[in-house]
Amino acid sequence: MNARRAGALWILAGTFASSAWGATTEKVFVTCPVYRDTNAGRKSGCWLATDEAVGIRYDISLSRTKPQRGHEVLVEARLPSTSSASAASSAQSPCGGLTLEPVVVSVLDSLCPSFMLPAESYPGRRFRLDPRLVLGTADVPETLPPGPYPPRTWHIEFAYQSDFLQYQYSEVILDEIGRYVRASHPRRVEVTGYAVTQAREVSGHRLAEQASLAQARADMVALALERLGASEAIVKVSARENPEPLSADGELLEPSRRRVDIHLSY
Amino acid sequence: MQVTLLLRLALFSGAAALLAVWPLLDVSAGGRAERPAPEAPPTWWQPDSNRVFAARADYTDSTGTVSVLHVGGDVQTRGHPFFSALGPNGRACVTCHQPADGMSVSVSTIKSRWRETRGSDPLFAAIDGSNCPSLPQEQAASHSLLLDRGLFRIARPWPPRTPEGAAVTPQFSIEVVHDPTGCNLDPRWGLHSAHPRVSVFRRPRPVGNLEYATRYGYIFEPKNGLPLPIDPRTGLRYSGNLLADQRARTLEEQALDALTSHLQAQASLSAPEMQKLVGFESQIYVAQSADRVGGSLSAAGAQGGPEALASGKPAELQGPGHPSWTEFDAWQHDAASTDPGQRAFRASVSRGIALFRNRTFLITDSAGLNSMNFGNPTRDSCAFCHNMARTGMDVAPGQVDLGTTNEPYADPAPELPLFKLTCASSYPPHPFLGRVIYTHDPGFALTTGRCVDIGKITIQDMRGLAARAPYFSNGSARTLRDIIEYYDRRYSIGLTEQEKQDLTNLLSVL
Repeated sequence: MNARRAGALWILAGTFASSAWGATTEKVFVTCPVYRDTNAGRKSGCWLATDEAVGIRYDISLSRTKPQRGHEVLVEARLPSTSSASAASSAQSPCGGLTLEPVVVSVLDSLCPSFMLPAESYPGRRFRLDPRLVLGTADVPETLPPGPYPPRTWHIEFAYQSDFLQYQYSEVILDEIGRYVRASHPRRVEVTGYAVTQAREVSGHRLAEQASLAQARADMVALALERLGASEAIVKVSARENPEPLSADGELLEPSRRRVDIHLSY
Repeated sequence: MQVTLLLRLALFSGAAALLAVWPLLDVSAGGRAERPAPEAPPTWWQPDSNRVFAARADYTDSTGTVSVLHVGGDVQTRGHPFFSALGPNGRACVTCHQPADGMSVSVSTIKSRWRETRGSDPLFAAIDGSNCPSLPQEQAASHSLLLDRGLFRIARPWPPRTPEGAAVTPQFSIEVVHDPTGCNLDPRWGLHSAHPRVSVFRRPRPVGNLEYATRYGYIFEPKNGLPLPIDPRTGLRYSGNLLADQRARTLEEQALDALTSHLQAQASLSAPEMQKLVGFESQIYVAQSADRVGGSLSAAGAQGGPEALASGKPAELQGPGHPSWTEFDAWQHDAASTDPGQRAFRASVSRGIALFRNRTFLITDSAGLNSMNFGNPTRDSCAFCHNMARTGMDVAPGQVDLGTTNEPYADPAPELPLFKLTCASSYPPHPFLGRVIYTHDPGFALTTGRCVDIGKITIQDMRGLAARAPYFSNGSARTLRDIIEYYDRRYSIGLTEQEKQDLTNLLSVL
């Protein structure tokens, strides 16, 4: 499927978004987020988002990017299966909404009322840092990956309309690439940025990224790689629009189109 | 024989001082009033005075004793670049980084110095020790920001420039709404002069514990997701934790900036002089070592004082395995002291530490924190931002907008300049303050030119605070208690009177 055809299918998918890319059911909507002030220690508050089209309140707290109160959010998620949804009803969830996971939240520029709810007996979630997201300290001698070093490709995803390298998520990937570069001395590092400029209608919002964002994303990653030891002479930066999604298990399809690909060749 | 006599006298005077303040103590609350450091022993350090900078020196301050440790031993200061007047205005680095003030300079010292010298000390040099060089320098009113708030004028180029001198295209325009100092509208020194400058007014940061400010714990800067940039001279990364606005990336850059601005020197330092200066600065550690009520801060198992700082690991992140201020953990179960006042004070400090670590509140609208992917608001404690073990700085480069300089959170300060910054439509607006922002000091944005950085100020070292009031970059907190009051108000924490006192006591022993 080429990118143009894929994009056209996606527009057809519309707000309810049974994904055009596969069999899984993906949910996409724009709404005004609500913060529920549960207090189970640090970073324990809940973020809720109601899809007004169906009147369901979702718990979007598990997104690696959290909302900004007073700004609308784009929510992209995989819906729980019917059976698990009924088992984990809103009333039983720790935040008071149907839990979405995986879920990707993008903060939009558009403003909306700033809402906050009290805990209302919901416990929230105790914060647990995924140890896979923790990098070693700078004073620990680094371990370089052993050879052989076949060509490899990595992907870094971005929030909608953003070139921000997300805390922890991006760092872990960049750190791995940096170590691979320093170990293997590739002939070329190709950094390709993508933006999704095809318009789609979501909850009455017309969403389309600026074409310049593809270059901005690629430039940001290239700068990071250069600071990690990739010589500017071997880094080749390019920008494209409307790629096909990644198809790795567990990935949300549409967010995977907003990405930078990093390819090392020898 | 003579030493023994001096020691006895010192012990006696210490005991007498404790007795003298005893009626002031609120023993039940574990608290006591902060007060200005007692007037005067001749602690003022003149440039070119050729004294010996002792390997360790103790100075009385507002709550006890601050100690300054130089791990390189005694320093002969004759001809030393830190102690020599290197420019025409008679100032040396030591002028504004006084050992008795924890290597900064307190407003009480500044006032004393004005009285003692009738304003003739180089401390009051027109270039930045007055509200504006164009004002009549003999009048105290012309130095009001220094005398009242301990603020020096920092003149930043407009538009901003990189450390290499390249012009930065700012994302915002800047207008002077009002300026009682007159300097930002001054035809020679102002924003519309031949060499446009934005004059902001800031406290001098202490020259101490700089190993903690210049080392980095992690190679990534989480506030922008990029690895820290690399210093091509050394191959090391810049820590990003120097100066309020990070305009200097290394101690060498800081020294050159200070040399040409504060000292008005025309010539640079030779390489050996620079090495001597930076080497000296890097070996100084500053911390409170004794409290008038709590006694020695290294007693009963505590590890206060500068020695523990000197032997500690810089840029270490606090966390569950190494929480903040473990230096005073032993005071949680202090059974050693027979003095009820001392026990109460130490218990108060322990409660303050628990609050610092564990009392969560909603952090809102603070660029540099909420603008990352933590969300706005995010619930966390003081230790979230003040996360570097032993200093309370930020292990990540600590540029954060607490609101101390930006409307609407800044305390009213009609004596300071007020600027109107308008973010251009071609750039993202400030995430919390929109496109039009009123500020007394754009802070980090005067270095980067970015809207999101307006009002961000680098988080400070928290050691030796009691020696260097007032606090925050613009001196808006006159006392340690005022710091707590600001945070309580800014983030609606809801601290009780006892909790405020406990946190104030914690700050007083650092």
